[in-house]
Amino acid sequence: MIGAIAGREVRGGLVTPLPWVLLGLGQVALAWVFLQVIEDFSGLTADERVASLTQEMALNLFGLAAVIAMLAAPLLAMRMLSGEFRDGSFELIGAAPIRLGQVVTGKFLGLVALVTPLCLLPAANLMLLNGATAIDAGQVTAATLGLWLSAMMFCAIGLYASSLTAQPGASVLVAFGLLLLFSVVGRAESLAAESLSLFGWLSWNEHLLWFLLGAVRLSDLAYFILFTGLFLALTHRRLANRRLQ
Amino acid sequence: METLVRVTDLSRRFGGHLALSEVNLCLDKGEVLGLLGPNGAGKTTCLRLLGGVLAPSSGRIEIGGIDLAQRPIEAKRHLGYLPERPPLYPELRVDEYLTFCARLHHLPRRRTAAAVEEAKARCGLEDSGRRLIAKLSKGFRQRLGIAQAILHSPRVLILDEPTEGLDPLQMRELRRLIRELARDCGLIFSSHLLPEVQAVCDRVAILHQGRIQFDTELAADQPANSWRIRLGPSANAGRLMDLPQVLGAAALGGDRYRIDLDAAASSADLAREIMQADLALYELVPERSDLERVFFDLIGVEDRA
Repeated sequence: MIGAIAGREVRGGLVTPLPWVLLGLGQVALAWVFLQVIEDFSGLTADERVASLTQEMALNLFGLAAVIAMLAAPLLAMRMLSGEFRDGSFELIGAAPIRLGQVVTGKFLGLVALVTPLCLLPAANLMLLNGATAIDAGQVTAATLGLWLSAMMFCAIGLYASSLTAQPGASVLVAFGLLLLFSVVGRAESLAAESLSLFGWLSWNEHLLWFLLGAVRLSDLAYFILFTGLFLALTHRRLANRRLQ
Repeated sequence: METLVRVTDLSRRFGGHLALSEVNLCLDKGEVLGLLGPNGAGKTTCLRLLGGVLAPSSGRIEIGGIDLAQRPIEAKRHLGYLPERPPLYPELRVDEYLTFCARLHHLPRRRTAAAVEEAKARCGLEDSGRRLIAKLSKGFRQRLGIAQAILHSPRVLILDEPTEGLDPLQMRELRRLIRELARDCGLIFSSHLLPEVQAVCDRVAILHQGRIQFDTELAADQPANSWRIRLGPSANAGRLMDLPQVLGAAALGGDRYRIDLDAAASSADLAREIMQADLALYELVPERSDLERVFFDLIGVEDRA
């Protein structure tokens, strides 16, 4: 059942231009940064280089890809619930003998499947350097994993925002608002006591940084899984409440 | 007779507005129940509650003896539901959409293709399998909505204004389909079209301001020979009852009367007799059907003019 729902979302997503446009624009932006990093790196002598090429690439390329994924996830998520509420097609699922948990999981997996190619783009770009120079495969894998996990969290936030309203445009704005909050909340650390790094912990970019540096830490894994789960649970709750409203 | 749907004291509130109040309904196997009512009477709310899309504020719905609130998954397996707007995905093709619906209703894969073909044939969509839903006309979308509701051969079918957007030919086909489906399931549908309801329903319930005002079996054939007449202002209406073929006469006010005639008599006979009795006949029109009269009487807009 989850497969059927996810499959329909992927099929429905691929026949619309949105994922292709996002993928195309994402690749243009990544290619730009890719060439810039290569140029900067090759212009330096061995003594001037502070980090390896993989390191430079991981920080710049994957960092940018995370921002692109953050913009893409709400746009792809908006038609999954919000659009269906608006068009009335959610009634089909509402009257079918399936659990809401299956609906949320199916839609989430469909969304992740649509965002995954975007998460693989930076690694694909780095593959071009294979043979020309030594690339740290471990670090690239860790960075890709981190990027994919953060994209999963963005998808969960996008899906939750999509469940809040029958106006797809409004759902995108809500998702951007939430994601922006999660992006800048780390800056609030300086306002709080130094020892209390709760705000820093809440911010996703702090956790992604460790992945980009090649360190897969259990605490960072837990952060992404926790928040993905939290927003999916909120989505489920929201859908359950819709029947009562 | 097996009771398929039993609704007890069903109420639904939207904030301060009571959309449905203490509705009681029963649907037996093989029965077609028509739900009538003016706009905003609560028909769609009632059907959404029955479809499990909305939760009731109070009351109980049983589908095939299974409580819809407590065991929704099992109860919904017996349901086919067509909402007010057909729930379609414009980016899919007709076949893809119906296959997806079959999976949503847990239809075994080996039966899916046959079920899709059958539903398409029943709704006149045989040649539309490869068409994109976004390109379908309104009538075809409605047909596809009906096809998804009957796809899994449900025991209870709930159709919210199924005739909306259909051409007269397709409407006749739908009437035939409803009678055919009603052989082995129970069917509830809402409509604005009184003749449509009268033609196809065994029972009719009229909703008004969230309450069931009227729930009765429709007799298959009503040998009604009723006429509505208007006489001159000074006519002695008492003499109407003395006319030979008049079984009954009722005053409607404003010199208007409803006359029940002998089954063998015609309007010409009535006119002749009135003339012979020296009563001035100004108007002679057939009386509206029982259902129509009840409907307008109930919602309080009976025209007295």
